[in-house]
Amino acid sequence: MQGGQPVGPRRKPRSLSGRLVVVAAVWSVLALAVAGFILVELYQSASERAFDAQLDVYVKSILAEMVPDPAAGEDAPVREPKGVGEPRFSLPLSGWYWTVAEAVNGEKVQFASLSLVGDPLDVAPLGSAENRSSFGTGPGNEEVRVRQQRIGLGSAEYIITVAAETAGFRADVRDFANQVILTLVVFGAGLVGAVFLQVRVGLRPLVRLRASLGEVRRGEADEIDENLPVELAPLAVELNALIHSNREIVERSRTHVGNLAHGLKTPLSVISNEARTASGPFADKVAEQATIMSTQIQHHLERARMAAQRRVIGVSCEVEPVLSRLTRAMSKIYRERDVELADAMPDGLRFRGEQQDLEELAGNLLDNACKWASSKVVVHVRQLQQGEATRELFELIVEDDGPGLSQEERREAVKRGRRLDETVPGTGLGLSIVADLAGLYGGRLELDRAEIGGLRARLILPSV
Amino acid sequence: MRLLVVEDDADLNRQLVTALGEAGYAVDTAFDGEEGHFLGDTEPYDAVVLDLGLPKLDGLSVLENWRRDGRSMPVLILTARDRWSDKVAGIDAGADDYVAKPFHMEEVLARVRALVRRAAGHASNEITCGLVRLDLRAGRVTHDGNPIKLTSHEYRLLSYLLHHQGKVISRTELTEHLYEQDFDRDSNTVEVFVGRLRKKIGADMIETIRGLGYRLGEPVDE
Repeated sequence: MQGGQPVGPRRKPRSLSGRLVVVAAVWSVLALAVAGFILVELYQSASERAFDAQLDVYVKSILAEMVPDPAAGEDAPVREPKGVGEPRFSLPLSGWYWTVAEAVNGEKVQFASLSLVGDPLDVAPLGSAENRSSFGTGPGNEEVRVRQQRIGLGSAEYIITVAAETAGFRADVRDFANQVILTLVVFGAGLVGAVFLQVRVGLRPLVRLRASLGEVRRGEADEIDENLPVELAPLAVELNALIHSNREIVERSRTHVGNLAHGLKTPLSVISNEARTASGPFADKVAEQATIMSTQIQHHLERARMAAQRRVIGVSCEVEPVLSRLTRAMSKIYRERDVELADAMPDGLRFRGEQQDLEELAGNLLDNACKWASSKVVVHVRQLQQGEATRELFELIVEDDGPGLSQEERREAVKRGRRLDETVPGTGLGLSIVADLAGLYGGRLELDRAEIGGLRARLILPSV
Repeated sequence: MRLLVVEDDADLNRQLVTALGEAGYAVDTAFDGEEGHFLGDTEPYDAVVLDLGLPKLDGLSVLENWRRDGRSMPVLILTARDRWSDKVAGIDAGADDYVAKPFHMEEVLARVRALVRRAAGHASNEITCGLVRLDLRAGRVTHDGNPIKLTSHEYRLLSYLLHHQGKVISRTELTEHLYEQDFDRDSNTVEVFVGRLRKKIGADMIETIRGLGYRLGEPVDE
């Protein structure tokens, strides 16, 4: 069985803040919907009770009207209720009705409101219950709230039924529901917004951690900022430990590569010298291969140096001591040449980079110039004005009075691994190394004709 | 001309000694820093080829010790570390030149030749005295344009005298600069070589200063 078969469609993992916001939103919507529903239900039942209480008042008024005149004697018949105090009972089909029925079999209607205009009020018989509230349909086909009450009056029992249309009451509840919905939607939106803000603010340390890690990767920082909330601080500490151990491993491998390469140089000298003193095809082959090996070693050492971590931030070195050391060394090696460091060095000029690299850059240029000069090498250093570039830069110019290079040769010279004249000893990569290294620092090497006759190498490098 | 080669790699040491010997130098050899330092401290060498990575005492320390003790012979350092910081450190410690490994023997020969010549105050690769002309690069001697055949000891003698022409050179000094350390020295042989040389380049070129030594110079007509 092959592993790693896709098992069903896999959802793309959402962002952490996305998940938090969505969960909060779903929960808020659910909770608020339930709360809204309960609120509306409560309001509706409260409204119904209030409506019923109002209808009860009418039941009482009808009863009061029915009570026989005490002056007419004990057996006087019940009176027909008249006004009841609500004009809508008198308007035909107004939606407000009442009936009075005898509480005997069939519940025969004895009196009815004028508004019924002779139509029956279609209600279920009360039966044996004392009272009842229900919804029904009025003669005008409108929904009505019906309140029935059994009462005893003298020896007889009556059922008083009052019905009123529910339109107003319904509208009231609907208005309330609308307001509740509006309020809760605003509230819910506020909640989600708050969660969103909370997530953004709460997760900001994560963003900072990521940015910090990016800086380390780009070589702008040495390590991650460990000043983070307690939940993230251990992660940062672990990451830093990882970065350090990684750096150590790289550094160690680089040292190994260096040692290996340097260790090979002595035996390689032996082999190639041995081969050059002998003659014949075998010796030629050995000499040829030894040269290839030597070039390879040089190339890979150079690459290892180039790949070396360049921590640009905070690393800088003073230009003047490096140049005077190199000039002194050159004057000693090339005693016949006059190597001069022209005009005063800009005060406190610092190269933004590692000292070893500046030594490599200036050393190769000076060495090349001394090799070719017939008598004189001049070195200029000048801080470039701000107007000439967006960053702070300085230029290092090395001129010699040797034969110089043609335009074609100047172009060739800065290409990788080119060596124009194999007969003059040297590392073989001189000017192209300078060009590559300068490029790494965002600088450049320009070759031109010198005023004093030979080659003019202008190196532009970042300064502090 | 007598040289010291300090190199711990036996093969490279042998190659250097052979090549320098063939080029007409008397060559002493040392395989570690301590031995090298001792030889350089006690023997008068015209130049030293010094490897930097040496057992017992590293090359830079050897060099620094010599310079501190006032030994001023020219020193050529051999180094596998070819960063400029390493090279400059060598020069600052007192070296006169460097050659980065792996090197071609011709390069070492050329640098040594330049060092020896420079130390004696000569700017060019050709040293002349009267009709005698020594081409250092080719190791050839001519007299009035005609090539002269010399044995290696005769060549060393003439070369030393030419480098220091006009100066009186004692017999001891000549002996010290002509022979390797282990050579069975017999000061009489110097006289023999001087005699042979006189026959080849003209008797009046080399003047005997009684009790002091010899002086090579253009014959003055009295």
